[in-house]
Amino acid sequence: MEQETSTVDFGSMLEARGVSRRDFLKFCGALAVAAGLSQAAAPRVAIALEKSVIGAKEGGLFPVLWIEGASCTGCTESFAQIETPDVGKIVLELISLNYSDVLSAGAGYSVELAKKQTIESGSPYIVVYEGGITQGFGSNTLRVAMETGEEILCHAAEHAAAVVALGSCAVNGGWMAAYPNPAQATGVQAILKKHNIGTPVVNIPGCPANPEWLMSVLVQVLMMGGAEALVAGDVPAVVKTLGLDGEGKPQGIFGQTIHDNCERRGHFENGEFVYEFGSKEEELGYCLYPLGCKGPQTKSNCGVTMWNNRRSWCIQAGSPCLGCCEANPNDPGDNWVEVNTPFYERHRDLHIGDWFFQPTVVAGAITGIVALALIIHGFGMKKSGRTDGGAPFEQRRAWDVKNPDKSIGQYEYSIYEDNDPVVLQKAQQEIAKQYEQATEEVAEAAEAAAEIEEGR
Amino acid sequence: MAHLAHYKEAHPLPFVITHWINLVAMICLIITGFLIHFPVSGTMGVARGVHVFFGFVIFINCVVRMIMSLFVKSAPTGGTRKQTADFKSWLPQKDNRHQAGAWIKYYLFLKKDHPLSAKLGVPQKLSYLLIPILIILMFITGLALWTPTAGALAGFTSFFGGAMSVRIIHYFGMFVFIIFMFIHVYLANVEGTEPTKLMFFHKEHGGLVYDPDKHVIVGDDNLQPRNE
Ligand code: SF4
Ligand code: SF4
Repeated sequence: MEQETSTVDFGSMLEARGVSRRDFLKFCGALAVAAGLSQAAAPRVAIALEKSVIGAKEGGLFPVLWIEGASCTGCTESFAQIETPDVGKIVLELISLNYSDVLSAGAGYSVELAKKQTIESGSPYIVVYEGGITQGFGSNTLRVAMETGEEILCHAAEHAAAVVALGSCAVNGGWMAAYPNPAQATGVQAILKKHNIGTPVVNIPGCPANPEWLMSVLVQVLMMGGAEALVAGDVPAVVKTLGLDGEGKPQGIFGQTIHDNCERRGHFENGEFVYEFGSKEEELGYCLYPLGCKGPQTKSNCGVTMWNNRRSWCIQAGSPCLGCCEANPNDPGDNWVEVNTPFYERHRDLHIGDWFFQPTVVAGAITGIVALALIIHGFGMKKSGRTDGGAPFEQRRAWDVKNPDKSIGQYEYSIYEDNDPVVLQKAQQEIAKQYEQATEEVAEAAEAAAEIEEGR
Repeated sequence: MAHLAHYKEAHPLPFVITHWINLVAMICLIITGFLIHFPVSGTMGVARGVHVFFGFVIFINCVVRMIMSLFVKSAPTGGTRKQTADFKSWLPQKDNRHQAGAWIKYYLFLKKDHPLSAKLGVPQKLSYLLIPILIILMFITGLALWTPTAGALAGFTSFFGGAMSVRIIHYFGMFVFIIFMFIHVYLANVEGTEPTKLMFFHKEHGGLVYDPDKHVIVGDDNLQPRNE
């Protein structure tokens, strides 16, 4: 009986939004896929959704605070851009969005109060944090209602059941943390660690994050057993329900690379590439790898979930993947802009101070210099007559000459010492020469003596 | 003509084989590495397959070569048929001691006569110590980028700053290999091709005789058959 009522209620809810039952089930299947489950899990998701909506009607809405850090609001925009009455919106109706800088109808004092009440209510809530946290300039680059961005996050996170770091900026600073990063931007996880706040963090990178990824996380948290674990503060259970990896990212979404699920992968394997925009190859839809596609090293399921209500996605639209999902929460330096620019090159730029260069340029230059040096050296070797077996060996090591008591070589055995045939021969020649000279001198003397004798 | 005699005891057969394997593997790895980085139409599948295959070959070959050095005997210096365990001529030897300066001066033309040395001169010894380390580094960074093993090495990858950094390390490593090969080939052949003929084909060549125990040149051997 109760079941019947609820079904009717839910059906009319869908109807009121112009959503057919069929659309709804399709959506559940999509959510299941986005959450890393198979399509077959769609009915499970549907039941969970229905129940939750009923639960929601009974006043059990899960409060969510959506807080903007140093952000461009792109992730909110992305989420809010659902233009037709969309089933996705139903998920939003499962939560009670108690605070949102962008979407809340109220403003100023009233919303700040709503936030304060949620935090102090003592009952569990979730924080969705969008944007980076800037620590530079005393964290004063962002101030809302007298608090710095860092303080806002800490206050909100401390009592939260979980924080969802939404978008690459919230994960590790994103483009805000790119060189030279004067504001010292970083992500949610790093800040919570800095302040010893143990609230679990779910990292959803992307610039912006795909709304479906957030929906899938919310569905899992709120409906598929995550909520109890969250309320109980059972972090391992949360990690397990959400399938989080070592970086706190849902593995079903961020476990494989773009390249793994890319529709152009066949062309990659066949070696069919686009080398230039506007070329025939581009027209043929070949692989974008030579144009700097970061798909092979970027982990995300864009090729499966796609974007804008599953219309298309970057690579289908003809752009190489820029790797916007690259974000290591433990390393603000490993942010997608730092690591993936220039977007159309195969490597990132390295820099020494303000001097930027591609690895190939430096490596090629050094290799060239070495090759040139060797060629020049070769001419030197040739000129000094060493190319035919090398120079004659030294007779004693220089060090041994200086340290005769610790000498390494036992030179008395060396052919270069007195038994050296060359030395010997030279000595014999010398002696012969001296002998000759002496005989000559003797002969001369004898001659002189004879002359003197004659003269007498 | 002042080189030491080239005897095949310097490079026992197993090391001639590992050297050949190294040569083939390294050249294939460099060519396919370039093809992967600068893809040429139609070659990607083959290039990747060959690259992964020879990556394993060179690593296994390196490990085998290092283990063999513990028990295979080789001549510790040129110009002798005496042999000791091979690893000893890898590590610093008495014959090399205090000779680093002499070698550098010799190659900078500041020293006229050829420094006495062990099988490897000091600069060579340093570079050969570096090569196994480089091969291991290349192997690990390569595995970190290869899908089947990338997951297991995720910690390694993030330690080095992510996949892009690992790729760049792997890429620079290739240039270190290329530079090593340039220098290695140059130094081995600039004073004559005899060492190369010995290394690859076991072709001996006469020259001065060195006594590795007395650390001096003790004679001359023109490899003519002697009357016993
Ligand atoms: S377009 Fe990018 S992700 Fe797709 S196959 Fe090519 S390299 Fe991989
Ligand atoms: S395909 Fe690449 S650039 Fe596009 S959204 Fe996905 S990760 Fe970002």
